[in-house]
Amino acid sequence: MSDHDHGRVPHLRDPEAHVRAVEEDLEYYRTKRLEPRVFQMARRGLVTLYDILEAHARLAATAAPPPPPPPDLEARIRALEDALDEYVRGIGLLTPELVRGLGPIEEMRKERGDYDEFFRIAKKPHAGSLEARVAALERDLPAYRALLDAVLAAVRARGLLDEAELARRRAAAARPGPWNGARIVARAWVDPEFKARLIARGREAVRELDIPPGRLGRLGVVENTAEVHNVVVCTLCSCYPYDLLGDTPWWYKHESYRQRIVAEPRRTLEEMFGLRLPPAMEVRVWDSTSDVRYMVLPRRPPGTEGLSEAELARLVTPESLIGTAEPLDPAALATRAPDEVRRVYL
Amino acid sequence: MRVKRDNPGGTPRTPRYARGQEGVVVAARGVTENPLDHAGVYPPLYTVAFPVRQVFGGDADGTLCVDLHEDWLEPAAPEPPPGPRPEAT
Repeated sequence: MSDHDHGRVPHLRDPEAHVRAVEEDLEYYRTKRLEPRVFQMARRGLVTLYDILEAHARLAATAAPPPPPPPDLEARIRALEDALDEYVRGIGLLTPELVRGLGPIEEMRKERGDYDEFFRIAKKPHAGSLEARVAALERDLPAYRALLDAVLAAVRARGLLDEAELARRRAAAARPGPWNGARIVARAWVDPEFKARLIARGREAVRELDIPPGRLGRLGVVENTAEVHNVVVCTLCSCYPYDLLGDTPWWYKHESYRQRIVAEPRRTLEEMFGLRLPPAMEVRVWDSTSDVRYMVLPRRPPGTEGLSEAELARLVTPESLIGTAEPLDPAALATRAPDEVRRVYL
Repeated sequence: MRVKRDNPGGTPRTPRYARGQEGVVVAARGVTENPLDHAGVYPPLYTVAFPVRQVFGGDADGTLCVDLHEDWLEPAAPEPPPGPRPEAT
């Protein structure tokens, strides 16, 4: 659970946006990553629904009582964000790399309806006051988490989870890692030869930074210039080099982004992200498959000549790696509370 | 190249908006072995560029760079040969 000292945490600038992000991500991970996986395992006979019921009963018998709710709305929203992070990390264990007998990701895409709406699992609508929405999330998250925990326990009880691989991953996750994309970009800004290798060879080049390159297809790198601004989307699902760069923001997976950015890219960047590009600058939208997953190499902001590579890395946001924002302005970074930077941008 | 409208049995990864469209191949990505993602190996991959306006109409500018597998592509109608066009009859 959260170990925040809430007295020091700066106020949320826009609590509604935080709640919306939790709602969208939570429903995405439930309907796209967890529940189709349960059906997939049931169809293959890897784990049955009854295995899951039994595992749930075992877990419920030893469960600790839930902690009391935090005192105020902001603290409750932050607790939800932490709980969502745990939920997402737990679902991340149910992958073909870790669970024996699961098919490749492409079978999941079929299973969850990426290519056929018939198979899609309904998402839950969200409505009401902010208070009511937070209360609904406080009911949903523990319930969703209970299913996840039972599924994981059932997978383990069947001996399907590769515990050795899991231990390796946990060790890797304990090293500094979420900065990968920022470190790659900062190195490319200061080292043109690295940039050339990155664009030419993708994942192989990031080994130079001691970053594990991941294995989900190839890495495509598209470089922003004075003439061209690149933006990345996956209109069919949500392909992204997440094994290398971390998970995407919730909107990357949302239909409103996936449909609009291809049909009217310039207007979408302006209206959804407040990114206004010069009229003469061409916008290129990269719609990826799973074989080549793209990242944007943003332009180095002006006024950063004196910054070190580590300082430059702090300017790189997930949005700038997708192409929906420029990197941070160094002056803006200085006025932002460190904790907020960490929460919002890493 | 032209993107086929339909391709039964082909890779499922061609967006609907690109189907039937003519575009220009801007990069050849080759064949990628990607066993974590899909069991078989898909046909060679190409990045094909389309003007946004051609695909979606309207007044939006910009370029769509779409990664498409070879089994979805066929030659577009050939350009007329250089030189004077034949008289219309």
